[in-house]
Amino acid sequence: MPKRGDWFVDRALETGLDFVHFNGASGEFFYPEILPPGVALLDYDNDGDLDVYVVQGQMLGAGKSLTDALLPPPARSLPLRGRLFRNDLQVRDDGSRVLHFTDVTAQSGIDARQYGLGAATGDIDNDGCVDLLLTNFGTNQLFHNNCNGTFTDISRQSGIEDKPGVAVAAAFLDYDRDGWLDLYVGYNVNYTLENGTQCPNVAGVRDYCPPRTYGGQPDRLYRNVGHGKFVDVSAAALAGGTFGPTLGVSTADFNGDGWIDIYVANDGVENLLWINQRNGTFKETALLSGAAVNELGKPEASMGVDAADFDNDGDEDLFFTNLTGEGHDLLVNDGAGRFEDVSARSGIGPASLPYTGFGAAWFDFDNDGLLDILTVNGKVALEGRANGKFPYDQRKQLFRNLGDGRFEDVTGKAGKAFALSEVGRGAAFGDIDNDGDTDVVVANNSGPVRLLVNDVGNRSHWLGLRLVGERRDMLGATVAIVRRTGPTLRRRARADGSYASANDPRVLAGLGRSTEKPTLRVRWPDGRTEEWDNVAIDQYITLTKGGGQKRP
Amino acid sequence: MRTIAALAAVVAAGCAPHQQRAGLQAVSLPDLSRMVPSAQTQIRDSYKALTQKIATRSTTVVELADAYGEFGKLLMAADQRDAAKPCFLNAQTLAPADFRWPYYLGHLHRKNGDLSNAVAAFERALQLKPADVATLVWLGNLHLDEGHPAQASPRFERALSLQPSSRSALFGLGRVALAEQQYTRAIENLEAVLRQDPQAAAVHYPLAMAYRAIGDTKQAEVHLRLREDRQVLPADPLIVELETLLESPQTYESRGIQALDNKDWPEAEALFRKGLELAPDHAALRHRLGTALYMKGDVRGAEDQFEHVVRTSPGYHLAQYSLGVLLQTQGRHAEAIEHLSAALKTKANYTDARLRLANSLRHVSRAADAVLHYDQVLVEAPDNTEARFNRAIAFVQLHRYRDARNSLADAMQTHPDESLFAHGLARLLASAPDDTVRDGARAIALVQMLLKKDQRTLDLGETFAMALAESGRFDEAASVQRDLLRGAEQSALKAVVPRLAHNLAKYEHREPCRTPWTTDELP
Repeated sequence: MPKRGDWFVDRALETGLDFVHFNGASGEFFYPEILPPGVALLDYDNDGDLDVYVVQGQMLGAGKSLTDALLPPPARSLPLRGRLFRNDLQVRDDGSRVLHFTDVTAQSGIDARQYGLGAATGDIDNDGCVDLLLTNFGTNQLFHNNCNGTFTDISRQSGIEDKPGVAVAAAFLDYDRDGWLDLYVGYNVNYTLENGTQCPNVAGVRDYCPPRTYGGQPDRLYRNVGHGKFVDVSAAALAGGTFGPTLGVSTADFNGDGWIDIYVANDGVENLLWINQRNGTFKETALLSGAAVNELGKPEASMGVDAADFDNDGDEDLFFTNLTGEGHDLLVNDGAGRFEDVSARSGIGPASLPYTGFGAAWFDFDNDGLLDILTVNGKVALEGRANGKFPYDQRKQLFRNLGDGRFEDVTGKAGKAFALSEVGRGAAFGDIDNDGDTDVVVANNSGPVRLLVNDVGNRSHWLGLRLVGERRDMLGATVAIVRRTGPTLRRRARADGSYASANDPRVLAGLGRSTEKPTLRVRWPDGRTEEWDNVAIDQYITLTKGGGQKRP
Repeated sequence: MRTIAALAAVVAAGCAPHQQRAGLQAVSLPDLSRMVPSAQTQIRDSYKALTQKIATRSTTVVELADAYGEFGKLLMAADQRDAAKPCFLNAQTLAPADFRWPYYLGHLHRKNGDLSNAVAAFERALQLKPADVATLVWLGNLHLDEGHPAQASPRFERALSLQPSSRSALFGLGRVALAEQQYTRAIENLEAVLRQDPQAAAVHYPLAMAYRAIGDTKQAEVHLRLREDRQVLPADPLIVELETLLESPQTYESRGIQALDNKDWPEAEALFRKGLELAPDHAALRHRLGTALYMKGDVRGAEDQFEHVVRTSPGYHLAQYSLGVLLQTQGRHAEAIEHLSAALKTKANYTDARLRLANSLRHVSRAADAVLHYDQVLVEAPDNTEARFNRAIAFVQLHRYRDARNSLADAMQTHPDESLFAHGLARLLASAPDDTVRDGARAIALVQMLLKKDQRTLDLGETFAMALAESGRFDEAASVQRDLLRGAEQSALKAVVPRLAHNLAKYEHREPCRTPWTTDELP
C-alpha cells in the first residue's frame, strides 16, 4: 500500500458539516441517552452526490431544562432537532473536488424534534426520490421526499406510526418481490422515563442499566401495499420468534435461494435470522444456523451489523459488534445459511476485545478487492473508569482484510482521526466526494460528527454502480463482477446495516491493479438476472433493470 | 475526600526511599465520591494502611508488596481497574516470587480485553506455580480467544494431567477440537464433560455445533434445546476471595444472586441480610431477601419482606409484582390484583405483571377486563402463548365460544408446535354449549393428531371421550372415560375422580358433555 499521508482525514468542520450531538443527560441515567445518534447518507435532491442527515437528542426528564444538562449543547446546535445537510460538491475540470455542506433543515420541511435515535432510507413510492425514516425514543417518523427539495411527514397516513417506543434500527427491503419497498423496524427495550430502576456497580457507583433490566420490545414488519402505504404484518409474517432488544438489522439473501432474508442483532439475547419462506412469511432459524449466540452459546450485545461476501465465495457473511470483553463477531456462511464463528481465527475477535462497537460495515477502503471493516466504538458502562462526566469514549478501529480469512488491525496507520477517543455510535458509509472510494460519516454521542474522507482508496482501480429499477435504487439487488484476471466479486446494493444509520445505496467495488473491463451479472430483487459485458471501470455507471442481457 | 487524597500524596512523597528503591508506579486514591459509604470507608482505610506502610521505615519489602496488593485487590473488587493496575504492578515488582500479583494482573488485563498482557501475566504466574490448574485453564482460554487453539491445547492437557477430573480443562480441549474443525474429537471431549457433570449446560451449544458440522442435525437440535448461558470455569479461590472483599450492599446483592442461581437459599438469605445491615432501605435487597425466603419455603417471611418493600417503596414494581404473584398462588386474587395493578402503575409495559393481573381478573369473574389486558400483553409480546391461551379461556368464561374457537384456531396456525392450542380447540369443539361451535369430527381428528405426537395425558383422554360423545359414539366415550377413571384411582389422583365419574355417568346415559372446563380446571 502506498504511503502518502493519512488514509482518512476528518473534514467535517472545514466542509460545513457542523453538527454536535446532544444526549439530554442530566445524571439520571435515562437508558436512551447511551443509544444515539445515527446518521444517514442519501441523495435527497438527486444531484448525484450524497447528502447527510444526522439525528439529534433532546433534554430528557420531566421538568428538566438545558441548564440541567451534564454536557450542554453549543448554541449553534439550537434549536435541537435532526439536521439535513446538502452536499454541494464541486468537481473541477482537473478532477479535484471541493466539498461543502449547507444546513438545509429549515427549508427541507423535516421537523424532527423527538429524541432521535436512528435513520433509514428508501424510496417507498417508487417516484425516484429517496424517503427518510427516523427511529425515535417516541414514535417513528416517515418523511416523504416531495422531489422538490422538501419533505412531508407522512408517519400517520403511511401506516407506520406505532405507539411510542425505543426504535433504533430499521431497514427497507422488498421481501415479497412486489416491487415496493417494505420496512422492518427493530425495537430496543421496553422503556419509559418513569422506570426508575437504578443500576449501580459493585461499589454503588451509578451507571446505565443493561437492556435485560427492561426487556425487549417486539420488532415490526410493515408490508408496503403500494405507493408507500404500509400494513403491519408482524404477527403473521414473523410468527414464532422471540424478540429481543434490537440494535441492528441487515437484510440479504443468506441461504442463497434468491429471496431476501433478515438478520437482527439483539442486545444481550439471541440474534434472529428470519429466513424468507417465499410466501410472505419468515421462519426464525438463527440458533441452528449458528448465528444466534457466540461460540460458547452465550448471547452477546450485538450492536452494529453488516452482511457481505468478504471471502469472495459467493455468499453473505456476517459481522457484528459487541461489548468490551466479548469481541466483535465474524460468521462465515457456508452458502446455505449455516454459519461458522471465525471471530478468533480471523483476528477480529481478539483485536476488538477492549472495545464496545457500534457503527460498522464491510467496505473496501483501499479498493484492493477485499472487503475490510471499520468500527466506531464507545462504551455503555464505566468498565473500571471513574472519572469524567460521560466517560464512555473509545477509539475507532480499522481492520484490513488480508485475503486469507485473517484481518490486520491497521487503526494505527489510518490517520489522526483514528486516534480520537469519542463516544462513537452511528456510522454511514459512502462515496461522499464521488472520487471512487468509500468515505465514512461518524456520529458521536455528545460530540461532533466526523467526516472521514478516504484519501487512499482511489489509488487503486474501482467500479461504481447504481442499480436502478422501478425508478429507484434496487436495495437488495446483487451484482457479480466477473473477471478473467481475478476472483468474481459479489456485492449488494444496500442502505441498511451498520448501527442506526443508512449507507450509500450504490455499489463501489475495488478492483486493485486490474484494468480489465469486467462482465457484470445483476440479480434483481425479483429474481431476474441480467448481464452487462465489457464495462468500463474507474467511473460510476447506472445499470437500469431491463437494460442488460437477460440470463437464466 | 480531596483533603485525604492530598494528605496521602504528601505521605507517599515522604516515603520516597521505598518508591525510589523499587522504581514503583504512583498509586493514588481514585474518585470515591459516587461510591456507597461502606465502600468509601473500606477503600480509604486500605489506602491509609498502604501509606502507613510506605511511610514506616521498618516495613519490609514483602509487607509493602502485600499492602500494595491488598489495596489493588480492593480496588479491583470495586471495579476500579485503572487504579488497581499500578498497585498490582508494584506488588509484583516488590515481591516477584508471589504468585498472586501476576495472577490478579492477568485477570485485570483479561477483563479489559487486553489479551497479550493477560497472557504475559498468567505466564509469569505459571512460572511461579507451574502446577496451578486454574492458571493453566485461563491461559488455555486466552489462547482460544486469541485464535490460537494449538497453543491452548497443551495448557488444557497439562491441567488435565494434574487434575484428571477438571471439567474446565476437558471443556477447553473440546473447544480446541472445535476450533480446529476436528468435530469427532470435539464431540468426544464435550460428551465426556457431560458424563462427568450432566448439569454442565454450557457444553450443549458447542456440542450442538459439532454435531451439526458432522451432519447430525437431530443431535444438534437436542443439545440446542438443552443449552444455557453458563460457563465452565476452573475452581478459582483467589477470584472468590476478591469477590467477597468489598463491603457494599451491591456485592452482597450480587453474591446473593449467585447463591440463588446455585439454589443455595440459606446462603442467599444470609447474604441479603448482611447487605441490608449496610443499607436497610435498599428495596432491591429486601425484595431479593423475600425471594430467597420464598424459595426456602418460608412463604410468610417472604410476604413480610415484600410487604415491607411495597410499604416503604410503593414504586418498586418488582416487589409489587412478587407480592402479587405470591398472593395469586394462594388464591388471594383480589389482593393480588391490587399489587399487580400497582406494579403496572409504575411500569406500564410490565408484560409479566399484566399477564398475571389478567389471570387474577378471570378468577374474580372479571373476564371482560382480563381480555383487555391479554390483548395488551399480545401487543407487547405477540408470541406469548400463555396470554393467547388464557384469552381464549376468558372468552369461554364470557360464553363467547365462537371467539374462543376462532382465537384457538388462529393460535394453532401461528404456533403449530404448541399442542395446547390444538388441545384447547379440540376440547371446545367437543363440548362448547354453543351449537354453532361444536364439531365432534374435527375434535376427534385433532385429538388423534395429538395422540400421534405421544401427548397421552389424562386431560387429552377426557377430551377424546368428550369428542366421541359429541359424535354420538357414547359407548366408546364411556369406555375411554372408564379407563381414565381407573387410571386416576390407581394413581391416587383423587381430585379428578368426581369429575371423571360425573362425565362417565353422562356418557352412560348417552348424554354429551357441555362443560369444556370445570372451574377447578381453569388455568
